[in-house]
Amino acid sequence: MISFEHVSLAYQTGRFALEDVSFQLKPASFTFLTGHSGAGKSSLLRLIARLEKPTSGEIRVGDIAYSQLKPRQEPGLRRQMGIVFQDNQLLYDRSVFDNVALPLIIGGFRFSEIKTRAMAALERVGLADRYADDPINLSGGEQQRVGIARAVVAKPRILLADEPTGNLDADISEEIMRLLLQFNNSGVSVLFATHDRELLQNYRFPQLVLDGGRITNLGRSPAPARQTAHESVSP
Amino acid sequence: MTDIDIGSRWGYTKRGYAITQSVRQLRHRSTATLITLLVLGTTFALPAVFWFGSASISQLVNRSVGEESITVYLNLDVTDLEAARLAEQWQGEARIRATTHISRAEALALFQEQTDLDDALAALGANPLPSAVVVYPAIDPNLPGNELVTRVEGLAAALQAQPVVDRVQIDLDWVRKLQSALNLFRVVVSLLAGFLTLTGLLVIGNTIRLELLRRQREREVSTLLGASRSFLNRPIIYTGALYGLLGGAVAAVLATVAYSFIKAPADELAMLYASTFRLSLPTAGQFLTIIAVVTALGLLGAILSLFRPIQGQVPNR
Repeated sequence: MISFEHVSLAYQTGRFALEDVSFQLKPASFTFLTGHSGAGKSSLLRLIARLEKPTSGEIRVGDIAYSQLKPRQEPGLRRQMGIVFQDNQLLYDRSVFDNVALPLIIGGFRFSEIKTRAMAALERVGLADRYADDPINLSGGEQQRVGIARAVVAKPRILLADEPTGNLDADISEEIMRLLLQFNNSGVSVLFATHDRELLQNYRFPQLVLDGGRITNLGRSPAPARQTAHESVSP
Repeated sequence: MTDIDIGSRWGYTKRGYAITQSVRQLRHRSTATLITLLVLGTTFALPAVFWFGSASISQLVNRSVGEESITVYLNLDVTDLEAARLAEQWQGEARIRATTHISRAEALALFQEQTDLDDALAALGANPLPSAVVVYPAIDPNLPGNELVTRVEGLAAALQAQPVVDRVQIDLDWVRKLQSALNLFRVVVSLLAGFLTLTGLLVIGNTIRLELLRRQREREVSTLLGASRSFLNRPIIYTGALYGLLGGAVAAVLATVAYSFIKAPADELAMLYASTFRLSLPTAGQFLTIIAVVTALGLLGAILSLFRPIQGQVPNR
């Protein structure tokens, strides 16, 4: 589903954010992307979302080779993905519903579909009754759930989560994790960037471990998993 | 699912979303928006007043040329009957609107009425004055002033060339002077209007740049969610057009108010000169033209601002 072949990303200074990274993630897999701060996790996610272009190497998502991708095709590629950020990236000048509806408006969905899908997504994250609220009035965990609802509302094939539990306490992190597992069980590939040791120990999923822009380990979490999901990673 | 209240269906279409966002942003910062609209309105009001005035003064020149007559003095051997026939014949020509025949006797009576030379005339014994025909040119008031003058002069020359004509009298010098003054006025006004229009364009451009900065987060998030360039730019372009539309309306209203203040003293001046000329208030067409031009400038300002996007449209985290 997602493959990196000898991908490097260098800054203008010449320093590498990622260096000769190769891996493959199978469809509907759940994979942790881990490593210290500055290891290159966000850069890798940005490459998948085509927010950055690699200095060398080839990235493929499904049958799309990024090297062949034209700029006007990039928005369409991003619409196949959902992205969840640590700071949730909600828009505070509109309601919870309007935040969740935004990907559907961008995708040109009909009004009836927008209403149905957005409310269903809010239902799944347990916030249907808060649809008219301003996001600023929600707790951090609730805001992150809105971010997840927005990421999955257009039914993406891939969910990229960049430290979505980074600002949340352990209980809320568990809740977010359970939500992501639910989406993974419905066939969405999840690539979850985190350095939360507790989460990594609690869930036994394949891990891509980055250090200094290089993959140092492709394997499973050493601790027993609390809950299983689809999994697969290969070098 | 229970029915939910989320506002207008239209606001969830791509275009509806863009317009809704633009209007919402303008309303959200109502004081800043009002100030910007007043700046745009006053900037474009002055060129609008000049434009209204220029159109009226052009009408004044054309009316003046149209009211001007050519006095054709015939040879002394032309009888009154021949002169009357000639006047009738000329009146049938396309370039001539009307003619008036002044017989030799009428000419003498007029001369006596306007001068104290009765004794001198009595000494001459016979009437020394020729028959005359006053010719009123047919004028298309839509023609430019210069061309009108040229046409009237061409008609005078054609009349002068006829063998029965002794002399043609016409005074278009004052029209030429007025025309020259008007041309100078137009150049000065065009330059001033150009500078003010550029100022307006810069105001709109700067406002749109600020709008881009304010909407940076929305643009970043929309980019991450797969928004195309047109989806991202549409609200900005609509905002520019809205500023233009509303700023144009303010300019048109201010210009009309200013013009109505000018109208009374201008009409009074015209009356003192026994002229039938009156400043006409701006028409609905002129009013709408001002709004359309400023709207177009708003669009242009927005599009130009988008040529050099603000850096960092996509978040690093």
